[in-house]
Amino acid sequence: MTNSDAVLVARDVTRAYHMGEEPVHAVRGVSLEITPGDYVAIVGPSGCGKSTMLNLLGGIDRPTSGALFVNGVRVDRLSDAEATRFRLHHIGFVFQRFYLMPALTAIENVELPMAEAKVARHQRLTRARELLAYVGLAARRDHRPTQLSGGEQQRVAIARALANKPSIILADEPTGELDAKTGQEMIKLLAGVNGDGTTIVVVTHDEDLARAARRVVHMRDGLVVDDRRQDAP
Amino acid sequence: MLLRLAWAALTRHRARTLLAMLGVAVSAAMLLDMVMLSSGMRESFKNLLLSRGFQLRVAPKGTLPFDTDATIPGASALVARIRSDGDVTAVSPVLGGQLHVVLAARTVTAAAIGVEPAVQGDYEITHGREPAGPNEMVASADFLAASRLALGDTLSAAAGYDPQLRSLTGRRTLRIVGVAHFIYMPAGQRAVALPLATLQSMEGASAGDRVSLMMIRARSGANVDSVLARLQRALPSVSVISTASAMRQVDDRLSYFRQLALILGAVSLVVGFLLVTTLVTVSVNERLGEIVIMRAIGVARTRVVAQIVLEGVAIMLVGTVAGLGLGLITARYLNSILASFPGLPAAIDFFLFQPRDAWIALGMLAVAGVLAAVYPSWRGASLPIALTLREEAIG
Amino acid sequence: MLLPLLAAVALQQIDSSSPHRPPRTVASDERLAADAQVRIGDRIVLSSVPGGAGDTVVVSAFVKRSADPSEVARAEYRVRMHLDELQSLIGYGDRVDRFAVQSRGGAAADSAIRRVNAAAFGFQAYRSRDIAVETSRTFAVVSRFHRAIGVITIVASAVFLLCIMLLKVDERRRDVAALRLMGISAGSIVRSVMIESALVALVGSAMGVLIGWAAAAIVNWHYQALYRTPLAFAVITPAVVALAVSLSVVLGLLAGFAAAQRLVHLPALELITGRREPRAPNRSRAAETA
Repeated sequence: MTNSDAVLVARDVTRAYHMGEEPVHAVRGVSLEITPGDYVAIVGPSGCGKSTMLNLLGGIDRPTSGALFVNGVRVDRLSDAEATRFRLHHIGFVFQRFYLMPALTAIENVELPMAEAKVARHQRLTRARELLAYVGLAARRDHRPTQLSGGEQQRVAIARALANKPSIILADEPTGELDAKTGQEMIKLLAGVNGDGTTIVVVTHDEDLARAARRVVHMRDGLVVDDRRQDAP
Repeated sequence: MLLRLAWAALTRHRARTLLAMLGVAVSAAMLLDMVMLSSGMRESFKNLLLSRGFQLRVAPKGTLPFDTDATIPGASALVARIRSDGDVTAVSPVLGGQLHVVLAARTVTAAAIGVEPAVQGDYEITHGREPAGPNEMVASADFLAASRLALGDTLSAAAGYDPQLRSLTGRRTLRIVGVAHFIYMPAGQRAVALPLATLQSMEGASAGDRVSLMMIRARSGANVDSVLARLQRALPSVSVISTASAMRQVDDRLSYFRQLALILGAVSLVVGFLLVTTLVTVSVNERLGEIVIMRAIGVARTRVVAQIVLEGVAIMLVGTVAGLGLGLITARYLNSILASFPGLPAAIDFFLFQPRDAWIALGMLAVAGVLAAVYPSWRGASLPIALTLREEAIG
Repeated sequence: MLLPLLAAVALQQIDSSSPHRPPRTVASDERLAADAQVRIGDRIVLSSVPGGAGDTVVVSAFVKRSADPSEVARAEYRVRMHLDELQSLIGYGDRVDRFAVQSRGGAAADSAIRRVNAAAFGFQAYRSRDIAVETSRTFAVVSRFHRAIGVITIVASAVFLLCIMLLKVDERRRDVAALRLMGISAGSIVRSVMIESALVALVGSAMGVLIGWAAAAIVNWHYQALYRTPLAFAVITPAVVALAVSLSVVLGLLAGFAAAQRLVHLPALELITGRREPRAPNRSRAAETA
């Protein structure tokens, strides 16, 4: 039985792959439902399968078995082109290593998904400026990633993830390469994004980031071992 | 945006990109030269043959014009027979020989042709006029320079040399009435032209009523192949050759250069292809993280591939444009080497530039550039996103 | 002037030779034999003009073409016959175009040339090699052309090789950075890269020699059949191999050196991050000891 209002549904999802001769069961039969506007942190020791779970939810990896629904669409059955299109409009990604295009300026990085979605130039410029202002980087919009600090790059990455107004943001260790102070700023920013109605799922080792979430899912050895709500700080 | 990303990728490693473009430029130059070589010779030869409007030639049986020292006997009757054909407007008989000009302390030898000045197609007068009388001649500028004679001078000349008696035979006094550019002679050749009957007379019994060649002009609108067939039937003792068959025979002799052109052209194309494909492969391998992220944020695979292919095409195009200039320079140099073939008419070019050639070379390289970049870019854009991100993180 | 008999050879029906005289023998060009399906023992009629009267002769031998480059593109047929018969056939009288003379060699040849040129009139004596130089001018042009193509090809190959080596070394920038961060000296890294470049160049050269040898074999097979000549068009000599291998190894080493030098002089962190790092200031000894 699934909650028809759920924005993300994983039903008995497994993911196995081979490392040399040995099969590795990264995710073993995980079921999960996330409601719109929720802020979920997936935590667990290294190798527990949390990043793999995030990749599966975002459609950039395919499960070995099970079903995945995002906004009611069965994403594990989409073709590569369909999944790419789906991600463009529905999901925003934030990665630990930022992964901005080094050749583009901050504003151009934010424009990139909108350009792909065929948004008119003046519209995407306007929105990109707004997003950079939103993340506090209005003055740095013409700088390239190599001219930005780690925290600034991650802000740009968040702005880029919000470009096409996705309903979901998936963030994999967004504070992993940031110092403590910058990490705090990032946590506040993500909370603000969530406050504006975007569903956020983060994978993290950062306890402060986990505490900022409203729901914490603990994983170990590919399984969910605990799933509890908590009060936001 | 795609252009921007492609440009940025190219300028990220300038030295590498420039070197690749240089490599493509050299390949493009070689390819252009080979395209020019493969078609230049026959176009140049065809232009030469048709330059005076003579579509057919008559040569001694089994030979090409001036290919051997053979001559055609009974020339007068043959000329009359050919002229009687309704589609023939002009017949120019030509006798080849030598002229030994006796000067005070030395003798200058020149290639001589005996012609009928009214219908001749072997030279163009640059100064003076055509010979009007039996003792008049025209000469090339090289002959005048070698003999230190000038327009209007009179000279003593002989057509033959008797080795037994070490004496000149067939002597005559001739006057230079014109300076001419000899179309079919090699550059620097000392050449003279005099009336056919005069040269035949100077050569004595051995020349008689003989010529080396006849050039035939058909009337405008006539079916040249029909004229050819008629004359071949009517004149079985000689070879009647059309421009097309002359070119075919020359093609056979020069097939070595065409095949060399084909081989070297293909090699150039392959080298350019390999260069671009290697460069794009390395470039893709360095940017796997960026490439999969673009896919992760929703950029379609075809667009990712298009951006990378654009880089390959850009290298090819810039290299090709540079190569065109380089190719023209090397073609000139190579042409100057081949133009020194003994006996080759100065008007023949082995490397003849036609804009069509440039387009062919450009087109081939553009296609090669696209193909060279497609596989590595498709491979890079098709990598599994999650796995690649994990490997990039470890790397 | 000798009439080119080749232009007039035809299988004629008109035979003007004396009926009681047995036919003389001739040796035919193997090309003529192949094209006209002439066999040993066949009788043919040779005349000096097409359709004219001629002599019946018997083909007693075939003559192979020599490996003479000046004859490669010439398509005419050749027939060798007894001198007196040819003189009679073409009405040449007691004349020849040239004599070939064999001397005891060396000084004897020079002495013979001098005596012939001084004593006889009407002809000139030459050494065979001087004639060969004159008649092979066409081949000399082709040879120059080939050399020019060769130079252009070498330049193109050099650029290509440099580019590939640069790419290969550049691809390893992170490895180089890691080594330098570990404390491996720049010199060791450069040496290692150059050894790798030299090996790549050597192995590539070996493969290139094999490909070149195969290509030469194909070229010779093709053109010998096309021009029906035993002439070798492409020859791989030890000198050619040595030139190609040494050139590519030298270029490979140069390219590897240039690329490695570029990498070891960049800050290691810049190699990893791609971010332009501030260069360390040059410190004088005095500043260090202060």
